Amino acid sequence: MGGTVSISGMGILSAIGNNRQEVLNALLRKESGIGPMKYLASVHTDIPVGEIKLSTAQMKQALGIAADLPVSRTSLMGALAVREALEQAGIQDVTGKRVALISGTTVGVMDVTEQYFERMKTEPDLQYLPHSNECGRSTEEIAQYAGLSDARCCTICTACSSALNAIMLGAEMLQNDEVDLVIAGGSEPLSRYHLNGFNTLMILDRERCRPFDDTRAGLNLGEGAAFVVLEKNAPRALAYVSGYANRCDAFHQTATSKEGEGAYLAMTEALRQAGIGPEAIDYINAHGTGTPDNDASESAAFLRVFGNALPAMSSTKSYTGHTTSAAGSVEVVICILAMQNGFVPASLGWSHPIPGGVIPSQGCTGVNLENVMCNSFGFGGNDSSLILSKHAPVARERMLADESRVALVSRCVISNDEQLLLLKEYLSPMETRRMDRMMKACLLSAFTVLKEAGITRPDAIIAATSRGMFETSTLFLEDIVANQEEHLKPTLFMQSTHNTIASAIAIRTGCHGYNITYSQGEESAFWAIRDAKMLLRKGEARTVLVCVFDEDRVDGTVFQYKAESTLYTLKDE
Amino acid sequence: MEELIEILKLQIIDALNLEGMTPDQIDNDAPLFGEGMGLDSIDALELIVILDKHYGIKLKSPAEGKTVFQSINCIADYIQKNRTK
Repeated sequence: MGGTVSISGMGILSAIGNNRQEVLNALLRKESGIGPMKYLASVHTDIPVGEIKLSTAQMKQALGIAADLPVSRTSLMGALAVREALEQAGIQDVTGKRVALISGTTVGVMDVTEQYFERMKTEPDLQYLPHSNECGRSTEEIAQYAGLSDARCCTICTACSSALNAIMLGAEMLQNDEVDLVIAGGSEPLSRYHLNGFNTLMILDRERCRPFDDTRAGLNLGEGAAFVVLEKNAPRALAYVSGYANRCDAFHQTATSKEGEGAYLAMTEALRQAGIGPEAIDYINAHGTGTPDNDASESAAFLRVFGNALPAMSSTKSYTGHTTSAAGSVEVVICILAMQNGFVPASLGWSHPIPGGVIPSQGCTGVNLENVMCNSFGFGGNDSSLILSKHAPVARERMLADESRVALVSRCVISNDEQLLLLKEYLSPMETRRMDRMMKACLLSAFTVLKEAGITRPDAIIAATSRGMFETSTLFLEDIVANQEEHLKPTLFMQSTHNTIASAIAIRTGCHGYNITYSQGEESAFWAIRDAKMLLRKGEARTVLVCVFDEDRVDGTVFQYKAESTLYTLKDE
Repeated sequence: MEELIEILKLQIIDALNLEGMTPDQIDNDAPLFGEGMGLDSIDALELIVILDKHYGIKLKSPAEGKTVFQSINCIADYIQKNRTK
């Protein structure tokens, strides 16, 4: 067990190109892909976006999919990126190999759901109805269209850090000898749903984004997909995954802490795992969204980790827009292109330094990038950092404690309104006033298992859900339709992402440790429990809280909910 | 003005899910954020929606709201001066 994890192939579609070469060319020419919306049908035409330059019809044609079949752009872009990655890795046949396809997405198939949302109410046979809100569905479709039908599919929904967490999970599974080959990354289309959601949070710039600039006024949303092929000891490695960490800011659902605690913890742990000091990093691809909040707290975290010796740093979201769940893998591919071609991508749009702040690179060529850090931070404080290296790091043996030592300490199921009344033991009415029933049920079940176990804070939090915040998402969709994309409620949107539960538990328990959300249909809980066991067996956590939640719609309108929290620990030998 | 304040309070109670609260329980001069009622950044966004939806006032950023949203009286005053509907 253990060994080095290499990247042997990569594929990408983003606003600056439909493949690796086009993306590389745009980066070197310093050309942004952000502009007016062409494919997304929204009333907010004044909001610039980073769309990929392919229509849905063009992508279906390229993949040989019937034009009238409703397929999400998540699946289409993802399949094209996976194909390019497999081709570069020289993989044609995966027969006999244990293959995992791990994708990060939070929009999932919402871009299709929102198109059919009104018709679904009267035409229950519409194909997407049973899958609406199921992020895992898009990953299954990527596998199908990319010729990986037998691959094990797994979907990670940690908002804007999803794809980076997908690559980390792939690296973990390889090191545990659970699989032979991993294709990991993320795919996220633009949707009216999250464009309007981000708009309610007032973090979308009406001009092109300016990460780390004193005049920055928000982000530009982008769409894209990127996947990498991960193998152990691949003969033709493009780069190596040498360190990574997933930590939680545990501060606020949509804001970041001033001191950037989650970002700081993720970066320092990734460095520790890579076995290198901050001085060994030659380039940082920052999360750098261009929002006042993110760039300030990421800057603070940089100062804590690197002091006054910040390596070359830039945000490439000024090229691609913020591809949210896909950002991690889009930027990992950009990092590897930079390493291979010896350049630092410029941070476009920057001209006014933040007083006392960090200064992003304006780009340079002819440099040697030995170690590169890539940051991805998501809503709810899901912060991850990953380090790529040009040369193979020293392979480390991995020891896992025996699985029989993993023990279940306590369990609690909450599924009706009467039980929810007990939440007042833990939270004041002021604290619960914005929470929907699903959120209340999850928090109550989590607090109950922790109380039974006699602990206040678990070391790690893992959530699993098939449909996520189904009722609240539906209400936000209704809001979009009824009010024609105006005057929408931020409260609904901020509580509608799949990772909202795991981060809410982290915020309430002050848990800055590992935090992740899985969404793969009925297999969601399997992935969560697998991960909990691995964390315990590796010795990375002594207690792991797993929260499995879902909502079902009965009679078309009434939602039923169920939250089940479980606390796991490792018994002494 | 009194009528505007009463309506505004009801709109705030509804948008911010201040369940069980009545308009007379909200002090017109008390700070809404921080030490006062304890509202947060999401509430500020909801207040911005109220201004836009009911009074036709568009604030450009949450930062602009900081001066407007100091108290109920502050908001009512701002609405009276700037409303377009």
